[in-house]
Amino acid sequence: MALEIQNVSKTYMMGTEAVHALQSVSLSIEENEYIAIMGPSGSGKSTMMNVLGCLDTPTSGEYYLEGEDVSKMNDDQLAEIRNQKIGFVFQTFNLIPRATVFHNVELPLVYSGTPPAERILMANDAIERVGLTDRATHKPTELSGGQRQRAAIARALVNKPTIILADEPTGNLDSVTGREIMAILDGLHKAGNTIILVTHEQEIAEHAHRIVKLRDGQVESDVRPNRVGRNADVVLN
Amino acid sequence: MALTAIKANKSRGVLTTLGIVIGILAVVTTMTAANGLGNNFRESISALGSDVLYVSKRPWIITGNFLSFRNRKNLDLKEVEKLEQRLTSAKAINPSTNTNKNVKYRSKTLEGTTIIGTTDKQLMVSSSVPGDGRFLTPFDVQFKRNVCVIGSEIKDLLFGDVNPINKKMKIGRHNYRVVGVMEKQGSAGFFGGPNFDKQIFIPISAFAKSFGSRNRDLNIAVKAAPHISLSDFEFEVIGEMRKIRKLKPAEEDDFSINQMNQLVGAYNSVMGVIVSIGLVITGISLFVGGIGVMNIMFVSVTERTREIGIRKAIGAKRRSILSQFLFESSIICLIGGLIGLLLSIGATALISKLVMPASLSLPIVSVAILVSVATGVLSGFIPALKAAKLNPIDALRYE
Repeated sequence: MALEIQNVSKTYMMGTEAVHALQSVSLSIEENEYIAIMGPSGSGKSTMMNVLGCLDTPTSGEYYLEGEDVSKMNDDQLAEIRNQKIGFVFQTFNLIPRATVFHNVELPLVYSGTPPAERILMANDAIERVGLTDRATHKPTELSGGQRQRAAIARALVNKPTIILADEPTGNLDSVTGREIMAILDGLHKAGNTIILVTHEQEIAEHAHRIVKLRDGQVESDVRPNRVGRNADVVLN
Repeated sequence: MALTAIKANKSRGVLTTLGIVIGILAVVTTMTAANGLGNNFRESISALGSDVLYVSKRPWIITGNFLSFRNRKNLDLKEVEKLEQRLTSAKAINPSTNTNKNVKYRSKTLEGTTIIGTTDKQLMVSSSVPGDGRFLTPFDVQFKRNVCVIGSEIKDLLFGDVNPINKKMKIGRHNYRVVGVMEKQGSAGFFGGPNFDKQIFIPISAFAKSFGSRNRDLNIAVKAAPHISLSDFEFEVIGEMRKIRKLKPAEEDDFSINQMNQLVGAYNSVMGVIVSIGLVITGISLFVGGIGVMNIMFVSVTERTREIGIRKAIGAKRRSILSQFLFESSIICLIGGLIGLLLSIGATALISKLVMPASLSLPIVSVAILVSVATGVLSGFIPALKAAKLNPIDALRYE
């Protein structure tokens, strides 16, 4: 089991009103699973991704990541989990604009305390995996959208995390480039990573082997379209 | 990383740094000036000699009732003689007295010049020596000869380029022959204190003959022998003086013992206050500079909220973000401090040229560098803490 959430709820205060973004959601994701989380806006998709990505802690419920209870961890402990176990790929790339591709990719290694000599090898390795070696010394502003997203993927990979969390990874890209990026993610899955894809596009979601749909803070459907022949294996909560 | 962040906003950085530059410049210049004043003062009183006690009617620095000292008996030559006989650990005893007279050479007059009646032993109790000609001799004193030794400034003002040796000059209404010129003492006349370069020495016997000895108060300089400590020596001098004055045990001393250290102490306490006030005022300018840095760091944190969010998302702990911004503010202040130091080298040179000798000392330089880095850390701390505490989700969403 790569990760497992049990009865997770998340409540925000919007002004004086309480918003129940997640309501007692349970979900478990196997190692090397390729899963897409879908849902319209307001479905709790973003909250789900924040909780799964350890960017946020649930109001109630448990979250086990590789057997570790992360639902009660403090800021710095969560930072370490994010650094070691999760690689993020964002819709808006979220690269640091002043730093070169190399420095952006190297940064997670800086925060994990990897020695400089090793950092250079690992960062170059990750940049090579996404085919961006000839752009390593460029700044993000000098790159195309696809190249930026490749740089972001290299950064997500560099610390060799087991889980890749991609939030609308093709949202800001044209369809050709989007397909290239999805091909990289498919490759990562084949190489053994657990991929969690958050998207609202059916076409993108179909790259995954399991699709979880959220609505109003609850799981609406959980299907594995490609697992058992044509008949979708529907698991309703 | 910090440097590129500073470089990214050049004009903003320059303006922020300017506050620190001015602050450090002000603090360093104040400290340098205070140091210079202190050195000048010590130099100007060094002629008094550190192992010499001065027995006088009044203390040099009067605290309390001035009148109680006025009614004391003058010291006279008989007491000097007795003291000379009784003191066992004195190396030299020199009586002197002084007055102010107009002095004249040809058509030039110097008004109110300090005339000191002394003996040949003056040289033993003071560090000043004649640079030209000779000092007074026992012979001059014994035979009440009208000879004088003039200070270097008197020579410059009265004689100019003329060699004053063996020239006749007028002290008051009396003719005196110049036999020597004292070596320049340097920056004397500090804060209205005695200017050792603007004195004229004459034999104390000739002084009495020319200007009268009645009601003349004497100063007695007593130099301690090398093996004795000044405090033991002071104890002995007080004891012998009390015996000479026939004071009963319950009576207070009716004379005062003065020494250079008293002047140093008085100077230190006065200058301590002045320098503290100066440092507080200049410190305020540094403080304002620090506020400028704090302000700019707040702006920087806000502008880079998204960057902070990214860093946190990929695993930066609070400590990493905190130190990143602290480092940045320290670098800004360190650069400002170094520029301020460079400018104060110029300011010091200017002071040296126009006011008094002063130099930038190593302790001041290191204090300045430390203070500028400390300013950076202090003014950067609150903004850096704000950055470190940002919630990664909110920060990532920030536009």
